[in-house]
Amino acid sequence: MSSTQANYFAGAFDPKQLRRSILAMAKAGNAVHIGCSFSLVEILAVLHRDFLRYPGNDPDHPQRDYLALSKGHGVMAQYACMLERGWLDDSHVARYFSDGSALMGLSDSRTQGLEVTSGSLGHGFSVALGLALAAKRSGSQQRTFCIIGDGESNEGPIWEGALLAAQHKLANFITIVDENGLQAMGSTADIMDLGAMEAKFASFGFEAAVVDGHDETALHAALTRFCDGQDPRPKALIAKTVKGKGVSFMENNNAWHYSRLTDETFAQANRELED
Amino acid sequence: MREVFSKFLVDLAKKDERFILLTGDHGYALFDELRRACPDQYLNCGVAEQNMVGVAAGLARGGYRPFVYGLAAFIPTRVVEQIKLDIAHDGLPVVLFGDGAGFVYSTLGTSHQCAEDIACSRAIAGLDVYSPCDDVEMAWALERAYAGQRPSYIRIGKADVGAVHAQPMGPDAAGLCPLAGASNQPLALVATGSMVALARDLAAEVPASIAAYSLPLIKPLPEAALIALAQRHQAVVTLEEHSVFAGMGSAVCEALSEAAPLPIKRVGIADRYSKYCGSYAYLREEHGLTLAQVRQVVQDFSQRQGLALAG
Repeated sequence: MSSTQANYFAGAFDPKQLRRSILAMAKAGNAVHIGCSFSLVEILAVLHRDFLRYPGNDPDHPQRDYLALSKGHGVMAQYACMLERGWLDDSHVARYFSDGSALMGLSDSRTQGLEVTSGSLGHGFSVALGLALAAKRSGSQQRTFCIIGDGESNEGPIWEGALLAAQHKLANFITIVDENGLQAMGSTADIMDLGAMEAKFASFGFEAAVVDGHDETALHAALTRFCDGQDPRPKALIAKTVKGKGVSFMENNNAWHYSRLTDETFAQANRELED
Repeated sequence: MREVFSKFLVDLAKKDERFILLTGDHGYALFDELRRACPDQYLNCGVAEQNMVGVAAGLARGGYRPFVYGLAAFIPTRVVEQIKLDIAHDGLPVVLFGDGAGFVYSTLGTSHQCAEDIACSRAIAGLDVYSPCDDVEMAWALERAYAGQRPSYIRIGKADVGAVHAQPMGPDAAGLCPLAGASNQPLALVATGSMVALARDLAAEVPASIAAYSLPLIKPLPEAALIALAQRHQAVVTLEEHSVFAGMGSAVCEALSEAAPLPIKRVGIADRYSKYCGSYAYLREEHGLTLAQVRQVVQDFSQRQGLALAG
């Protein structure tokens, strides 16, 4: 696939706007996982703006790049990007979680723009590897981006898959670890310390790097190195993030894994996200 | 049965470049010819079944036709959730094989013996479940699973108990096969996989009293054919080398209790694990699945139902 401009969507993917969209959905649906979504906003913004190629902005185009949100808990951030692409509209936001609505609280492959069904963790990573393997076998230039969580990396299939990715030199496979340091019940360091993820992935045979996951310039530079380089290894970008990033009372507060918005917290969060 | 399986894969690999065989480091000599003839269509995913099933799903999404091979204790039993979420949820055309089902690995103990795979797989929405008994049924199941382009699980139990079918099955076969001599005898034996030959032999002892059937398609169950069977016979005994809970016999009970109730006795593996190891024949006996033991069960059941068994 060519890298012509027509494959990219000319959207701003402004992080503040994306976070406001997440808040609107979460409020409409009385949804949880706001903190999980906020930590990967800049990652998704950079991917959608500059790396994901959807010819004709078609989420089902057979030659699209794949975005597998293995960390399904952050799905509202992807919905916010899909809203900007026009794959969703305001009615989806207003009707979020209402009876008979299609958008689930975790990534569901039946929704255009979501490649994998996840939330039961460690699944999307393996499916994404299969997509990358299929593209490589077919001689396609499609890339597969797979976002996993650090909590998710407790799951065995992540490491089974890492072995396979390296064994088959899936250079077209780029995993991004949303390393916010928190998982459902507390800090990853206290629950299941992952240590140095960059070193772990490197030891599994990946080209690995660490980046500030909220610094769009740094994310862009790191992903450009991965995509433009000639290194045959699969890629792992460890994105150091903050759960709940963007709203002061949510940042690093694991309560926002499960908390729901009130009228008051909704208004307060929106005020912090004003332009 | 294994030769049919092996040859089918090689022929398919040559015919369909989208075909790819994935194995979790199992199969030994089974794939020798495939690896020789079509090495690029053979993928050993290592001892990592969960990832392998997810990778198969991704390959299917990317246009390939993955066949996934493992032991029944692992595929599907270990990876039920991957089959559900990654494959069946989206109706992907992936064919899964569980080899060595039942007591095939008679000396290796509980980890390799498998009495749960039918129960696990038939509860997964959108997954077809096959349990062939011989070369003919295996060829039929393979063709049907490949052509149907549906998520499918094919159970491979003890494979060398001999031929049951004399003629090939057509692609439109109902999935419930009357064996030679079956008409409207009082009692019907419905068997699957490794128990079919025994059912045939038992029926042959008293051909005027017992009809025998093979049921290689456990899901979707051939309900119309089963209802017709229930209307021809007065009672049914099901036979399977699988747990009596949620297996083939349970499926038959579920279907017939709603549509055509009649007394049904389920013969299979009781709610326990093998206590000792030994030969396959030894374990069949330990679990009450020899011809003599099943004959006694059938006689007792028939007596309670007021059916006289006579040749």
